[in-house]
Amino acid sequence: MIGQVQTDARERPLEFRDRRDNLAILGFWFFLGSDVVLFSCLFAVYAVFQGRVAAGPTPRQLISLGPVLVETVALLTSSFTCGLAIAAMRRGRTGPLAAWLGVTMLLGAGFVGMEIHEFATDVRLFGTWHQSGFLSAFFTLVGTHGGHVSFGVLWGAALLVLLWRQGLTPRVARRLYTFSLYWHFLDIVWVFIFTVVYLAGKIT
Amino acid sequence: MPHARKTERGLLSLGGLLLLPRFEHSSGPWPQIVGYALSLLLTLAATLLVVHHLIAPLYLPAVILFLAVLQAGIQLGLFMHLREGVGPSWQIVALVLAGIVALGIVIFSIWIMAFKSGVS
Repeated sequence: MIGQVQTDARERPLEFRDRRDNLAILGFWFFLGSDVVLFSCLFAVYAVFQGRVAAGPTPRQLISLGPVLVETVALLTSSFTCGLAIAAMRRGRTGPLAAWLGVTMLLGAGFVGMEIHEFATDVRLFGTWHQSGFLSAFFTLVGTHGGHVSFGVLWGAALLVLLWRQGLTPRVARRLYTFSLYWHFLDIVWVFIFTVVYLAGKIT
Repeated sequence: MPHARKTERGLLSLGGLLLLPRFEHSSGPWPQIVGYALSLLLTLAATLLVVHHLIAPLYLPAVILFLAVLQAGIQLGLFMHLREGVGPSWQIVALVLAGIVALGIVIFSIWIMAFKSGVS
């Protein structure tokens, strides 16, 4: 029966077998909820300040969609490979799990590298976030997301080491699962940044 | 624990389908492949709409924002296994609350700042 309440722990996936791991996963969802609120504050600031360009560039002048599209595809692909890693974990296959996780980390590192390059170019051509309210809001919003991704890359690399040293235990599985939630969540935030900052910046 | 079970049943009938806990037992990576293809498609659609001016600029922000919400739903449903867990899916309740707070912050910030610049 679809949606039947499953009481037999052995029928559950590895990361949901222990009650404490269950609670840890639920707690991580609550953390993601608080991160939704954090990013909503930054989006609100951006929405208010995007027109206050002072002597600095307008969004239209600042943004070039080409490199950002490459960043977007890299992050979307990394979210996909992260999903494949968890799918491999569900089948108990450690090799593919580690491989897909490694690909995810590489794509994430590539994304961060491209974003750093984009920021450096922006600063060289248009000045730092001291320039205008728009640039302050832009660098804060996009940079906070980039900081999250950078942390995620380090976290994922640490989990790879943990997986290599301890094998696929329920505890390691739970940590990999919460990491995957974090990673997909960052992809969702990026979709909104791409839409609200980059695409909408090109409309007017 | 008969009490816990009763609470669970009560929530199930109350909350409807969304609060039913369920684990993903997929035989292949098809949900991931479908989710990836749809994400790429939606991103491409939004980009083409903006670059080629296919819709009047007045409606364009609403349309691409709608596409972004669709894509977020795909990530949540196909990649994040939103409903997984033992017992009722409290994470959905938490996310809905966070979403309401987030929407309030964004909408009312824009509203109050627009109002302020109108009178000062």
